[in-house]
Amino acid sequence: MQELANIFIKSIFIDNMVFAYFLGMCSYLAISKTVKTSVGMGAAVIFVLGITIPFNYLLEKYILKEGALVWISNDFIDVDLSFLSFIMFIAVIASIVQLVEMVIEKFSPSLYSSLGIFLPLIAVNCAILGGSLFMQERGYTSIVEATVFGLGSGVGWFLAIVGIAAIREKIRYSNVPPALRGLGITYIITGLMGIAFMSFMGIKL
Amino acid sequence: MKLFKNILESVKPHFIKGGKLEKMYPAYDAFETFLFVPDHTTHSGSHIRDAVDLKRTMAFVVIALLPCIIFGMWNIGDQYFKAISESSDFMKNFIFGFWKFLPLLIVSYAVGLSVEFAFAISRGHSVNEGYLVTGMLIPLIMPVDVPLWMLAISVVFAVVIGKEVFGGTGMNILNPALTARAFLFFAYPSYMSGDKVWVHGAGIDGYSGETILGALAANTTSWANLQWSFNDALMGFVPGSLGETSFIAILIGALILILSGVGSSRIILSTFIGGYLTALLFNLWGVNVLMSTPAHIHLLIGGFAFGAVFMTTDPVTATQTNKGKIIYGLLVGFFAIVIRVFNPAYPEGMMLAILLMNVFAPLIDHYIVGANIKKRLKRVKV
Repeated sequence: MQELANIFIKSIFIDNMVFAYFLGMCSYLAISKTVKTSVGMGAAVIFVLGITIPFNYLLEKYILKEGALVWISNDFIDVDLSFLSFIMFIAVIASIVQLVEMVIEKFSPSLYSSLGIFLPLIAVNCAILGGSLFMQERGYTSIVEATVFGLGSGVGWFLAIVGIAAIREKIRYSNVPPALRGLGITYIITGLMGIAFMSFMGIKL
Repeated sequence: MKLFKNILESVKPHFIKGGKLEKMYPAYDAFETFLFVPDHTTHSGSHIRDAVDLKRTMAFVVIALLPCIIFGMWNIGDQYFKAISESSDFMKNFIFGFWKFLPLLIVSYAVGLSVEFAFAISRGHSVNEGYLVTGMLIPLIMPVDVPLWMLAISVVFAVVIGKEVFGGTGMNILNPALTARAFLFFAYPSYMSGDKVWVHGAGIDGYSGETILGALAANTTSWANLQWSFNDALMGFVPGSLGETSFIAILIGALILILSGVGSSRIILSTFIGGYLTALLFNLWGVNVLMSTPAHIHLLIGGFAFGAVFMTTDPVTATQTNKGKIIYGLLVGFFAIVIRVFNPAYPEGMMLAILLMNVFAPLIDHYIVGANIKKRLKRVKV
């Protein structure tokens, strides 16, 4: 139980997808204009990460890893399919994103239209693929751990995008130098937020 | 004063529209506003008559800082003469500290104000008084021996990236003084942490100038076995940066801020309460020395009190709503203790906790305002 709590806290604050690895920046920068849409985007990312990572974990454990196919027959003990992991992970992510898209279109058309092109683009959001690859690299031992890691990374990304969206709403009335308006100031804010998130670097859990 | 007034009056024609130095008007305006009550009035919109303006608000913060500054200067001298084991008296300590503090203050103001003036002139807005406080706070939270060029770089970073790119005073999202400190902290860690930087001359003859937090974070001796007593921590006879050591001096500052209405008592109180409760909670757990340190000691040591009184109350970067202020304060206290306890690399959690909550302050406000709107809409329907 404590192990799970550690993974969760760690993936939110210490290994934050945005501030520690700078993953998923494209949608983070593009969708963060208002808090409302960014909450929707963040929730979608939590959902997708929370589903794709355990899915890919099973894929990794029973198909891709070296010797993973033993459950079919002992002849496959030397088979190592891990060179397929990129394409398999991407296929899983793409199909799940399709699912999310349909669900959102059905239940919240306004959110669907405000997320626009970026909803299908979650499929190529580096945070999502990054999450699956981190899962593979860090070798989580059970599907529960992988799920907790996925949800935690999602929550970390959610906090980042909602935080910057609130700041961007606030500075809408600021007299920002014309050359920096828009993306420029957003990059600077991201950097400053990164400094604040440095407070968690080095914590050992 | 008459002399200054005459000088200003005589050069004014050069600066107003159409004059030779028209572009330099913000600089002229800054001097005139700083020295005298300006004669210009609001032209449009709703008018509120109040004697309090930004200049007076800022002046009150500087007055509230005075006890910390005076005590800090004395303490710098006291720590130094203890380190070299030389006897000293009050004046000697004070004068020594004064000469350590003055260069820091001059560099901070000179560099910061030149950047502000340059921006004001090139962008054509007036110079704001915000830097008066920031420039005073920066030397108070730096180690005494920080090289002056580093101080200058961090001030430039804080003013340009932390404030001016957002449009100047009142628009920034992170507290500029803490931005300067965080910048140095991550860029030149060896000058900003450890046991040699907090007391001038600590490098010599094996004297350990580590702070209480540094000693506790080493996880070897508990609070009860340290060489400092409760009274030392309360009065501030301990190593540390200039402003942070004395709880009593900070308390006087807090009273001035609260009574004058400049600082929010909600934020100050809730920060202390948040920190105290979190520390109590960790006392129950108690697996390392900092966790089992008594909760009230946590509030006295390090920069907790100084941050709670002078940094969290920054009216620009804190939350604006009343409920939001309480949530903000509680979370600052909470994170400060959490970072202290869990992060061996940064025993001083206050700076980073405040920066972290500065980042999320607009979000807290957003939801509080949203909730208020919802509540009132409900009332309308009935």
